[in-house]
Amino acid sequence: MTNTKRPREPFAPWDRRTLPGLFDVDETAERVGHYKWVETKLFEALGGWVATVPELDVKLRLGTHCYHHAWHADLFDKRLPELREMKTDRLTVPANDQLVAFFDAMTEPEDATMTIEKLVGVYRVLIPYKIAAYTYHRNATSEITDMPTVRILDFILQDEFNDWREGEMLIQSMIETEEEIDRAMNHQLKLEKLMLAAGGVAGPGSIGDPYVEMPEEN
Amino acid sequence: MRKIFPAEELARDARFIRQTNEQRLSDPRGPRVAGGNASEQLAKLTPGLPNGPDRARALMHGIFVGEIQALEGAGRTCWDFEVGEDVPFALKLDMARQCWDESRHCEISVALAEHMGTELGEFAENGLLYEASCNPDPVLRLTGVNRALEGLAIDVFNTMKEFGNLAGDPVLEFCEDWMLADEVTHVKMGSDWLRRLTENDKERLEKALEFQKVVDRLFSFNGFRGEDDDSPIQLTRRFRELAGFTDDEIDEIADMSREAKAEAPS
Repeated sequence: MTNTKRPREPFAPWDRRTLPGLFDVDETAERVGHYKWVETKLFEALGGWVATVPELDVKLRLGTHCYHHAWHADLFDKRLPELREMKTDRLTVPANDQLVAFFDAMTEPEDATMTIEKLVGVYRVLIPYKIAAYTYHRNATSEITDMPTVRILDFILQDEFNDWREGEMLIQSMIETEEEIDRAMNHQLKLEKLMLAAGGVAGPGSIGDPYVEMPEEN
Repeated sequence: MRKIFPAEELARDARFIRQTNEQRLSDPRGPRVAGGNASEQLAKLTPGLPNGPDRARALMHGIFVGEIQALEGAGRTCWDFEVGEDVPFALKLDMARQCWDESRHCEISVALAEHMGTELGEFAENGLLYEASCNPDPVLRLTGVNRALEGLAIDVFNTMKEFGNLAGDPVLEFCEDWMLADEVTHVKMGSDWLRRLTENDKERLEKALEFQKVVDRLFSFNGFRGEDDDSPIQLTRRFRELAGFTDDEIDEIADMSREAKAEAPS
């Protein structure tokens, strides 16, 4: 017979989760609002590009990924009222003007000959930055008090990694000449500079600050 | 990237050949072209017809290019409008979901076309479906696409599902049934949004329903889709009801088809 009166710890020995996290409720809501803005802008762009790309496999992947990011935006939207933000539109804003400039540049290519640029913007620049910011948030927030955000980010990160891989493979399959490598790299360079100015998808501090302040030497 | 992307510029590879509706209807080969809708060809699509299998192949190719345009149309609705009172966030989420569904439909229909022995590009593409999804008014666009065109898709998929059943083709029947389930969802989305967005605007509701009729009429030429036994594509009452159509609305489409058939050149 099981002894039902024998005490057990509330946290199993292998459960190392701790209470402290880097973000309070307000900071979390602010970041989640920025994420929702980014996911919304991304799914809108992917949807818009579908009609502009002639490559059938790319067209169908963009249509599929469009929904993935819409679903992410919806998850973030549903999280906001749980973080005391009832008017979700109020926090659905870009982190700064530089991020708006990044999205303007990323969504600029329209011509049917520019599939490489379209893919590079999303899969070599934006999605890696999203993965970085989401991973930082996932690892830095409290896994107990903020577990609903962690759970959302885990689902989203799984999508992001899959989509990143698919997008990267599409890019590699599209690049057949040195000139096309230059096109991809030049566009990436331009967008990376804009993202650097923005400080990441959630603005400066998107992935924390690894530098330790040293006392001044005499 | 521009807002409102013109139908003439839809990006396609070299296999696709675009044809206008006028070009198609005035094609002197008329009845000899598989899938044509000249009056002598009007008959319910069944495998037993002498041209049944060829018409089914042509229809499947038409479904494939229609799905591409439906994907492009839903995608453009994500991009063309800003989130606001006119286009709520949830509507855009529905359109993104539709993008995924239409992408799968493209995959299914291109595989089915191959299964039926058809090469991509074997039949011409008509841009009519995407043109309906270029309407600058989101309510009209949604009504034209999700209620008129996706409604037609319900009828087409049900007809093809029955064709698969009669032909003893379980793959065709299975896939059409899955696509049919998605289309009912899309039409219901259109019905729900139309009601929500025009709740306090009767004039706009009427305008949207009028636009739907224009689109429905375009696809009822020669009685192509109707309730009569000899209609090539059968109007599907049960699934339309599930998708939010009233009996009166279904009657109206059936009447429209009968009128179009009566007006068709013999």
